[in-house]
Amino acid sequence: MDAKKERSISRMREEVAQFEPVLDLLRDDPDEMSQLQYFILESLVRNDKAIIECVEQDKPFLANQFTNPVEICTAMDVPFYFHVQQQFAAGGTGGSTHTLEDLEEMDKLGIPPDCCTLIRLLAYYQAAGLLPIPTAYLALTEPCDSVAGLQSLFMNHPDWRGVPAFVPDPPYHSDDRAIDYFAGEMKRMVDFITEHTGKTLDMNRLKEVVDETNRDYSLWFEYNDIRRAIPTPHSYIMPMSCFYLVNTMGAGDPVNAGFYKTMVANAEKRVRENTPEVPNQKIRVFWYDIQPMFFSEIVPWLEQEWGAVIAMDMVSYSPHELIDTSTEDNMFRGLAKRAFQHPPMIHQARGLADNVIHDITRIVQDYKMDCVIFPGHMGHKDMAASTALMRETCRELGVPFLYIGMDICDKRYMSVDEIKDKISQFFNAMGLGQN
Amino acid sequence: DSYFSSINCSFPRHAFDMALKGDYDFLDALVMFNSCDHIRRVYDHWIRQIKTPFVKILSLPRKAEQPQVEWFRSELDMLRESIQDHFGVKITDDGLREAIALHNKARGSQRALYDLRKGDKPPITGAEMLAVSVAGTAMPVEVYNKLLEEMLDDIDGADGHSNYRARLMVIGGELDNPKYLKVIEDQGGLVVTDALCFGSRMIWEDVDESADDPLTALSRYSIAERPSCARMYTQYPKRLQYIRNMVKDFNVDGVIFERLTFCETWGFEQYSLTQDLKELNIPLLCMDREYTLTAVGQLKTRVQAFLETLGR
Repeated sequence: MDAKKERSISRMREEVAQFEPVLDLLRDDPDEMSQLQYFILESLVRNDKAIIECVEQDKPFLANQFTNPVEICTAMDVPFYFHVQQQFAAGGTGGSTHTLEDLEEMDKLGIPPDCCTLIRLLAYYQAAGLLPIPTAYLALTEPCDSVAGLQSLFMNHPDWRGVPAFVPDPPYHSDDRAIDYFAGEMKRMVDFITEHTGKTLDMNRLKEVVDETNRDYSLWFEYNDIRRAIPTPHSYIMPMSCFYLVNTMGAGDPVNAGFYKTMVANAEKRVRENTPEVPNQKIRVFWYDIQPMFFSEIVPWLEQEWGAVIAMDMVSYSPHELIDTSTEDNMFRGLAKRAFQHPPMIHQARGLADNVIHDITRIVQDYKMDCVIFPGHMGHKDMAASTALMRETCRELGVPFLYIGMDICDKRYMSVDEIKDKISQFFNAMGLGQN
Repeated sequence: DSYFSSINCSFPRHAFDMALKGDYDFLDALVMFNSCDHIRRVYDHWIRQIKTPFVKILSLPRKAEQPQVEWFRSELDMLRESIQDHFGVKITDDGLREAIALHNKARGSQRALYDLRKGDKPPITGAEMLAVSVAGTAMPVEVYNKLLEEMLDDIDGADGHSNYRARLMVIGGELDNPKYLKVIEDQGGLVVTDALCFGSRMIWEDVDESADDPLTALSRYSIAERPSCARMYTQYPKRLQYIRNMVKDFNVDGVIFERLTFCETWGFEQYSLTQDLKELNIPLLCMDREYTLTAVGQLKTRVQAFLETLGR
């Protein structure tokens, strides 16, 4: 294998090397939470290995965006990786030894620093040859300008210019006409995958996969309902993992239902026995954005210092619907909705701001939130332009609202101490967590 | 600032501020697009805060293929119907064809003005051309066409500007303030062409007048034919070629890229253009700016330095 290919999978190899010893430990740990974590980590490692194998053996694989229906790729038996996952996993997690080095190298690209760091990092990974060059690329033009801008940049890279790309174009509206249009985009995406990988789509297989992800989603909904309990049963990691498992390679594998079932059972038990993972809960927080890469430096502090638990967050509670698998058209319409209306960030950022008001209202009421924290990632310009609506909604609901204004990838933008200070001042000013 | 944040573009903030102050109270209708993350949120605030009788937002695709042309054609058709219903008017295909012809005529005259700038002594500056273009967006097209004809008669063959240090092209997104270009030109760089929203990209192609269906022609023009904004995903190679052609046809010495701060659409485009223009050996200066003309001193200094690097 040439040096360029080897470099492109070097971060995946590092991730495998980092996680395998952890897996060994978790595998032998009978604790239910350890087993849940094992399930997720094992999935990450398995996916990395699958892509490494594709690169090593010149097998077809895709680069993908997190919103394109994974059910289609699973049913067509095409391996893929989410390039946006690289930042969180292999590329730049808070614990990665590469984080600062990556950010500093990213700065040298010369993309204006007010552009989304998450996307600039991805541009850096591509420029640095740290992304495996796929057989074909399934891109996306939503939810934000930076994602759309990235696609042009990506396809202009000398090593990627020859990579065929399909870019589903989500409409701004959400009515039946829009769903039909995007279902058409999904069908065209299937044709594109077939053209470039030789893999075809068997509708019976797609139905099997969608039935299975429907089952996972049902269990996820059940789990989210349990999280309404006070105290809430778990910290924040489990809800995030729910989203991951139905959106990663292998989604639709019947084995995944085991994860959700275990999680539901664990949550039920904790509620029944009043043994929440986070003790002494005093403040119920709705975290209305994606999680910072360095969340592990914030959440334990929130929980221990303030008794503040993130009872719900943007990623964990997107209003997914189950897909009607009775006909091919219904399935594609359902996959279209799952792709362009429901995923976190897409749900909030694509289209009108009505969902922002609706989400906050529903979640604050359903989960009896004490406050709403909008981290305000610097790349989320449309959300930043919606803060007045968030604030007004919270005012009407009678819950305090905090807009932080951080960079979820880069602590140089706002340090963890500054973030903690803002949150502390907010809690103090609002009299939260005093009892 | 109560509605937008400090990381939002100053253009929609300024526009919405004007709306809140009542400067747009004269409007009977507002039609918007999901142009960018900042502007599309103006719609959300507008419908809640401003009492304009008719407000619509159209879904503008980000790629330029046939399904997108059909989608946008249907958006235009629905807009036509709702305008008819709301205002009690009839928008016929023949009426659309007439309007297309009138606007094509305006584009043709504007292109003629651009052509005059290809020579050694352009009779009109970049700032003046931008003022002419912006004026065309705010007056009846029949009146505009007449004024353009008079202007062409006046300046064709007239003595032009020869006392400049370099011939410049300005590229980027929204720029409707001729004073910005005047600051550049006051340093000795004559702006001979552009690729701006209110500049050549608005006029370089005509809408097909021979199409059977005028709405399809308008849709195809907006989505696939006119020189595109950076928001159109699949069009970067065409945009780059457009700049290359302009540089060659207008004998451009250097390119100035202007971007409204916080504009991610043009921010990522800036990266690609920086790489590609360097490869093509086309000098490039990248400038961030606010919607209102600020930091003039900095602009002057950077343009002066750029002209020096051009050896002018």
